[in-house]
Amino acid sequence: MTSVSRRDVLRAAVATGAASLFGLPLSTLAAAARGGVVVIGSTNKPRHLNPAVQSGIATMFPGVQIFAPLLTVDGNWKAHPYLAERWSISDDARSVTLQLRKDARFHDGRPVTSADVQFSIETVRDNHPFKSMLAPVNAITTPDAHTAIVRLAEPHPALELVLTTSLLPIIPKHIYGDGQPVPTHPRNSTDVIGSGPFRVVEFKPGEHVILERFKDFFLPGKPQLERIIIREYKDTASLLLALERGEIDVHPGLTEPRDIERAKKIPGVNVVPNTGPAIGRLVWLAFNTANPKLADKRVRQAINYAIDKHFIINTLFGGVHLRSTGPIAAGSPFYSKEVEAYELDLDKARQLLDAAGLRPGANGVRLALTVDAIPGASDQRAIQEYLKPALAKIGIDVSVRQSPDFPIWSRRISNQDFELTLDSVWNWGDPVIGVHRTWLTANIRKGVIWSNTQSYSNPRVDELLAAAGQERDAARRKALYREFQEIVVDDVPVAFLHEVNLYLGYGKRIAEPVDNIWGLVGPLDEFGLKQG
Amino acid sequence: MSAFPDSAPSPDTAAAEAARSPGREAWRVFRRNKAALLGLALLGLVALVMLLGPTLYPVDPFGLASQPFTEPFTNAAVPLGSDYLGRDILAGIAVGGRATVTVGLAAAAITVLIGVTVGALAGYFQGWADELLTRLTELFQVLPSLLFAMVLVTLFSPSLTVVTLAIGAVSWTTTARLARAEFMRLRRLEYVNAVRAMGAGPLRLMLREVLPNALPPLIVSATLIVGTAILFEAGLSFLGLSDPNVMSWGLMIGANRAYILDCWWAVTFPGLAIFVTVLGVSLVGDGLNDAFNPRLHQR
Repeated sequence: MTSVSRRDVLRAAVATGAASLFGLPLSTLAAAARGGVVVIGSTNKPRHLNPAVQSGIATMFPGVQIFAPLLTVDGNWKAHPYLAERWSISDDARSVTLQLRKDARFHDGRPVTSADVQFSIETVRDNHPFKSMLAPVNAITTPDAHTAIVRLAEPHPALELVLTTSLLPIIPKHIYGDGQPVPTHPRNSTDVIGSGPFRVVEFKPGEHVILERFKDFFLPGKPQLERIIIREYKDTASLLLALERGEIDVHPGLTEPRDIERAKKIPGVNVVPNTGPAIGRLVWLAFNTANPKLADKRVRQAINYAIDKHFIINTLFGGVHLRSTGPIAAGSPFYSKEVEAYELDLDKARQLLDAAGLRPGANGVRLALTVDAIPGASDQRAIQEYLKPALAKIGIDVSVRQSPDFPIWSRRISNQDFELTLDSVWNWGDPVIGVHRTWLTANIRKGVIWSNTQSYSNPRVDELLAAAGQERDAARRKALYREFQEIVVDDVPVAFLHEVNLYLGYGKRIAEPVDNIWGLVGPLDEFGLKQG
Repeated sequence: MSAFPDSAPSPDTAAAEAARSPGREAWRVFRRNKAALLGLALLGLVALVMLLGPTLYPVDPFGLASQPFTEPFTNAAVPLGSDYLGRDILAGIAVGGRATVTVGLAAAAITVLIGVTVGALAGYFQGWADELLTRLTELFQVLPSLLFAMVLVTLFSPSLTVVTLAIGAVSWTTTARLARAEFMRLRRLEYVNAVRAMGAGPLRLMLREVLPNALPPLIVSATLIVGTAILFEAGLSFLGLSDPNVMSWGLMIGANRAYILDCWWAVTFPGLAIFVTVLGVSLVGDGLNDAFNPRLHQR
């Protein structure tokens, strides 16, 4: 695997980095390196490279380059063939037939067969933290080497989107099917074999992942790049410095307004907003509805009316983020904007508190609450600070509570030991994957973070989500989700604040920025350098 | 301490000086140090702000007083400008001093309490008690104090009490060493032996005979510790480790640190306030050092 010397690779990386810094045409270097080398910086440190058993960008991003998914998706949520050249859904929507390409091979030369598909789907269903993605999958049958039929207990329209991402990578059965448990399989981090456009040259946890063009990749002429180097940096500050110095060609996600401003000033770097809208990183203020102080919906609504979302977006975050009005991210086809927006209205907030029987005491205080936030998230810290004066205006005395580290915060929140908390919960494409989990009564699970930690329970919502999860007709599904959004926005188990707008920074020598709803968490086989 | 050549005893004034009480004598020496007087004036100013600030300028330091990032001296509503949330900087300065100085004083008190207890026991009893306590002191001395304090504050989540205790817990070692040396020196003196011969127990000897005579250097060091404790609190705040629910100068710096390039005033003014306080404390500490130094007294 390491026959190509690492020093050569790094030297090439440094050379190309410098070229992008001075805006030189890259043809000479590109010719030397056949398609060129792109260095992508990252602050996410993958533990291993197998996204079949690990969620999160850190593993998914290199994972989707290494393990080809069955389908891809474009920027308009439309699925296209990839490892599967055709797919069809039966009339009763209880089976999905996948027709695999016959020319696809793993990096070790073995062909990709329906047995691998069966093994992968079963592994993901049984091990991946996103249980709802494949929960209805009963069985996978393999009539021949290139046909796989997924049998479903109930219709599962989310499946198509699941097939398009590294949420469902096709992993080789001849390696992972040796009887060892896949989550701790040694081949998750050494000698990793997939069928994606790039193969692993070297994986040094905490330092870099070096990927090289897979010569027998099933799409002719792809991928364009000779190499992708994912270099890890300890924090966003050093990542931005690396972009400024030309050490990296791609900054995968700028979110801080000041960082974005700085990146825009770097000569030879493009900065584009709205990368990967399917991920839908919502930031919200969650209420513990099981707490007697917050059990009355009017109290929660009052708090929502007292928070100026425009102030948060425009003043705290320099206008870079997107307004969020409900549980489904604005980029999703199921997003509905016909919901109460909770624009700042202090009079209404006070009336609601009066109606709930919370009158100001001697010192003007109606209610005292504590607010938590994910530790280390500086944006949440700023909102936490803002809530104190903002809610003081309606007579709510807010104390800021800090958690020493993420596990402690997560333990407090998931065991209902909180009153208010800021939280960041991601959509992950289809509502079934990332949205349902925080609203279903059945998903009030102690000790599980990003489940229904608000202890919210509404039978109508449970009904709507159950129906929408199975509805095949897109328009009817959208209508179900519209009613769901209306109800939860009115019930306010969470106050929606904003959606993080992820900005991609990349050197101008890169010809094709990503055009798919997953952003960099999609295959980068189209990614290439401009012709010099 | 003999850095003042003009302080050599002059025989013709000696008789007059001898008539003065020790307190007046100390004040005379203190007064001679112009820097110490400046320090006293600065501390007076800080005390005024602490006592009267919130009354003279009754604005909620957590309230949203104006547009965020209002520059200082441009808007009468917020004379020193506003921070990234629009909170009034002047209100923060007026109110925040109480918490900051309280932390400084309380942490110094804890430091002196632990330090003197450990030092006194070690210095007075010597033997195995000294061995044990000195090792303990060394153990704390080799820990990097800021890091250790950060660990403590992070572990118990930042509140005014935790920050104060943490600062006390990491800075008592110097006082302990000082107290130990003083107690070792004084316990051998004849007057102590005399009282011991009269049948006084160790507790009485330590508290009534030795401690009062060991006090001058300890008071000087305690004063300086107040200064370091305030700086320490500011340092922890800068790292985001201060009580988020109590306005303090340190909190202002910590909260606005991320916006330092857009909004220098939100960090600079509380920084200046801390600077003035610590400078005042240090200068007064130096002055006290002179005042308690018998070699500078004219007999």
